[in-house]
Amino acid sequence: MTYLQERKLTGWLYLAPFVVAFTTFVIVPIGVSLWLSVMRFDLTSRESVSFVGLQNFQDALKDDYFWQAMKATLWFAVLMIPSMLILALSLALGMHAMNRGRNVVRAMLFLPGMFNVAVAGILWQWFYNGEFGLFNFWLKGAGLAPQPWLSDRGFAMPSIVLMSLWWSVGGTSVVILAALQQIPKQIFEAATLDGAAYFPLLSKITLPLLRPVLMFVVVTNTIGAFQVFGQPFLLTRGGPELSTRGVVQYIYETAFNNYRMGYGAAMSWLLFLVIALFALVQYRFLRRGHQ
Amino acid sequence: MNPRLSLGLLIGLCVGLGVVRGDFQCLGPSKARKVEISFWNGFTGPDGRTMLGMIRRFNQANPGVLISMQRMDWATYYNKLMVAAVDGRGPEIFVIHASTLPRMQKAGFVADVSNLFGPSTLPREDFDPYVLDQVTYGDRIVGVPLDIHPQGLYANKDALKKAGFDRLPVNREEFVRLASLLRKDVDGDKRPDEWGFALTLWRNNFQSLMPQFGGRFLDENGNADLDHPGNIRALEFLGSLGKDKLVPPPENGLGWVGYRQKKVAMVFDGVYMLGDLKRLNDLNYLGGPLPQLGDRPGTLADSHVLCVREGLPNEKREAVEKFIQFLSENSIEWADAGQVPARRSVRATPEFQAMPVQYGFSKQIPYMIYPPRINVLFEFTLEIDLAVEKVMRGRSTAAEALKIADQNAQKFIDRDRAERVVKP
Amino acid sequence: MRRAGRIFLVAFMFAIAAIFLAPVALMAFTSFKPESEVLNPASAIPKVWTLSNYLHILGWVEEAPFGRWLLNSFFVSTSVTVLVVGISSMAAYGITRLKAPGGNAFLGVVVASMMIPAQLFLVPLYLMLSKFHWLDTPLALIVPATAGGWGVFMLSQFMRAVPEAIEEAAIIDGCSTGEVFFNVTLPLCAPSMATLGVFTFIGSWNDFLGPLVFMDSVRNYTLPVGIALYQTSYYTEYGLTLATSVMATLPLILVFLAFQRQIVESMASTGLKD
Repeated sequence: MTYLQERKLTGWLYLAPFVVAFTTFVIVPIGVSLWLSVMRFDLTSRESVSFVGLQNFQDALKDDYFWQAMKATLWFAVLMIPSMLILALSLALGMHAMNRGRNVVRAMLFLPGMFNVAVAGILWQWFYNGEFGLFNFWLKGAGLAPQPWLSDRGFAMPSIVLMSLWWSVGGTSVVILAALQQIPKQIFEAATLDGAAYFPLLSKITLPLLRPVLMFVVVTNTIGAFQVFGQPFLLTRGGPELSTRGVVQYIYETAFNNYRMGYGAAMSWLLFLVIALFALVQYRFLRRGHQ
Repeated sequence: MNPRLSLGLLIGLCVGLGVVRGDFQCLGPSKARKVEISFWNGFTGPDGRTMLGMIRRFNQANPGVLISMQRMDWATYYNKLMVAAVDGRGPEIFVIHASTLPRMQKAGFVADVSNLFGPSTLPREDFDPYVLDQVTYGDRIVGVPLDIHPQGLYANKDALKKAGFDRLPVNREEFVRLASLLRKDVDGDKRPDEWGFALTLWRNNFQSLMPQFGGRFLDENGNADLDHPGNIRALEFLGSLGKDKLVPPPENGLGWVGYRQKKVAMVFDGVYMLGDLKRLNDLNYLGGPLPQLGDRPGTLADSHVLCVREGLPNEKREAVEKFIQFLSENSIEWADAGQVPARRSVRATPEFQAMPVQYGFSKQIPYMIYPPRINVLFEFTLEIDLAVEKVMRGRSTAAEALKIADQNAQKFIDRDRAERVVKP
Repeated sequence: MRRAGRIFLVAFMFAIAAIFLAPVALMAFTSFKPESEVLNPASAIPKVWTLSNYLHILGWVEEAPFGRWLLNSFFVSTSVTVLVVGISSMAAYGITRLKAPGGNAFLGVVVASMMIPAQLFLVPLYLMLSKFHWLDTPLALIVPATAGGWGVFMLSQFMRAVPEAIEEAAIIDGCSTGEVFFNVTLPLCAPSMATLGVFTFIGSWNDFLGPLVFMDSVRNYTLPVGIALYQTSYYTEYGLTLATSVMATLPLILVFLAFQRQIVESMASTGLKD
């Protein structure tokens, strides 16, 4: 056997443990949810389980609440993804450039993400509370007008995004920082010796080298943003007037409060299509930038 | 440190912890055989601590039985209960709200417990007929009501005193007067910082007023009747409080936090909120019936119902029945956690009547209503929430908002009916 | 000038970090307040310091067996972390270095699978774990967690960012793939593995729904579930909740600091970086 052939076989050998776990605990449930999506399946009345074809999908497309939820999810994603990436990248570059105290700053930025979203949620609900909350108390103290952080349809989603950034931007910037640190220092030294200034260095050398990791960050954050659930659920329960109820919250309520598993599964697949579309566009875009 | 070494150390740590946990040695000294009963409920917080105390007493008094309780917030709990039920794994005994019984009953998950009701066990006449009716499906009684938890009025005693009241307001005139007297702009910025009244859970606040104005959930045929004139009047009343700026704009979870902070003098909420107030040492609170704001008294209520899983072996069923009887007979202890006992005899005891808030709330039993008995309750009440929110924001009239809510709610009911019909 | 710039940068970064830290500090302070003072915006720092929240939690073993839960948490999270980092680094090595045929397409499937909301998996997973008789055992929390695609995706991308030259040199020197993996690739990727380890540990530690739904006995819960004990559907016992969450998060902070040292040391030992 040639070395190359052996390498190919060994490749799958190294993949084997993951493939087994993935097949059992992801592929099988996915198969189940695919099956559910063409069924009427009410957990509370199993005698009425029946095949309904694409009925669930048609229902979803005609469901105003589904579209409203889709709009809320898109709005969150549009606000969240760019601000997240810009902030996380800046923080990572800032930390990378620090000659002292980097580890302390990294720990401080990372700390909020260690708290459970449930706790972060109750804390921020109190911060944002319009009449009795901390932020408006401070604003009033500074002689400014209190703001309807969570009770206004225009304000609520940006407020949720702000809390989400606080909660998760540290994690993303730690990932980017780890990637920066993996770039051999010699590359920077060589470039600096050539007299390259900071920003050209950044765009010509650093970012291209980071491309695979940035791709990871973009894709996972996109997925995370489209599946947002915990933060709006805890802060507003989806209000005001359902304007912050995202698709995953609607799916959750459909499947577990109303026990309509089939309909919930169908909506999950529609959400999957939207995310996949976005991820594909981003992938193309990042790839094209590469060439 | 090299990664192989650290990986090795971590694996070592892992195995070590596993051994300490004792999962790798299944052979423990076997205890005396006991009937093990698992008991699930949503009693997180102080009421769960009371329940734990009662279970401890029961276990001590009954050495042959071991009740173990698992509790989690109601939302997660209902999810878990349903999923476990699908697998046939559920607990032997569990608590659910009377209002969610239709779904549990439909799922065939709750056993008939009518045998438990008898003169020597649980006397039927010791339960209010209306409450017993909530757990009766045809000739089956599918649960034992443990308590009744009506919505009522909480007030800040000190604030009321300042306005010249040493008791709760009882009618519309008193209530509105207090609401406007106690709304104050303390720091002089032309914005009120203290409120006489605030909304808590919108749907509950509104549903409590519905019966006062003669409103109802469903018509005689079980169709949605949310745009009933009584409901419209009730919502118009709430809307008028908003228009007169007597309540702060609606916001999720706002009213209760304000009440705790002594910035809201009066709120409507359930008797179970007492558990939260008991831990505050500087808030002088009063609790009692809702004021009569409409044509007649009325409020919303629900019950925690003890249910038994269908198909238990005799031994377990006996233990469960014993436990249910114990809880029911000792429900004065449960009342202390902020509940009104379902048993009339317990409510007649001097101990109960010495609990001012619980006793006050219990006076509403003759005229309380329960949520509608429908399968689509969650979707139904969400529509109510939306209607109240729209009106309180001044974005819609009560009639329009309730008309939309009614149409949507009817759609859910129709869908549910269509799905109930099993296709041949 | 450059020096001044550096100092400014450090100061600026610290200022930003302080903003991030402020809510956490507030949470910690609040856990030392009596319940009546808890939500008072006028006193960020307690007027009255009290340990009553902590004493309440620790003093009621029947309600919350914290010692046992701490042990469970450590056991589950360490196991998950070891398995995920091990399995993911092997898989990523297979895809990016050994170029397993179809490996990239497989990775695509893995990433796509992450786009389906996982809430839907709860019921099938529950039924499966029940068939395996894993419910109410730590296996239910450990094994399914290894199937997540996050780690494989992350390590694959990180490995792509590391030049292959060094590994190629090792192969020319006659190392087997196993030797290259252990002696060259793993040390090179140590920072990203440590990062993945931290994320996995935190994710597993903070998992809420898993222990609540898959565990039936209270003694098999993990620590963060304790937080949920003091939140009812209608109100929250703020002092107790925040105190629990401080106690549940402290071990995480220690783990993170330990890993952070590990990152620095491993980089120093490879001699390639700072």
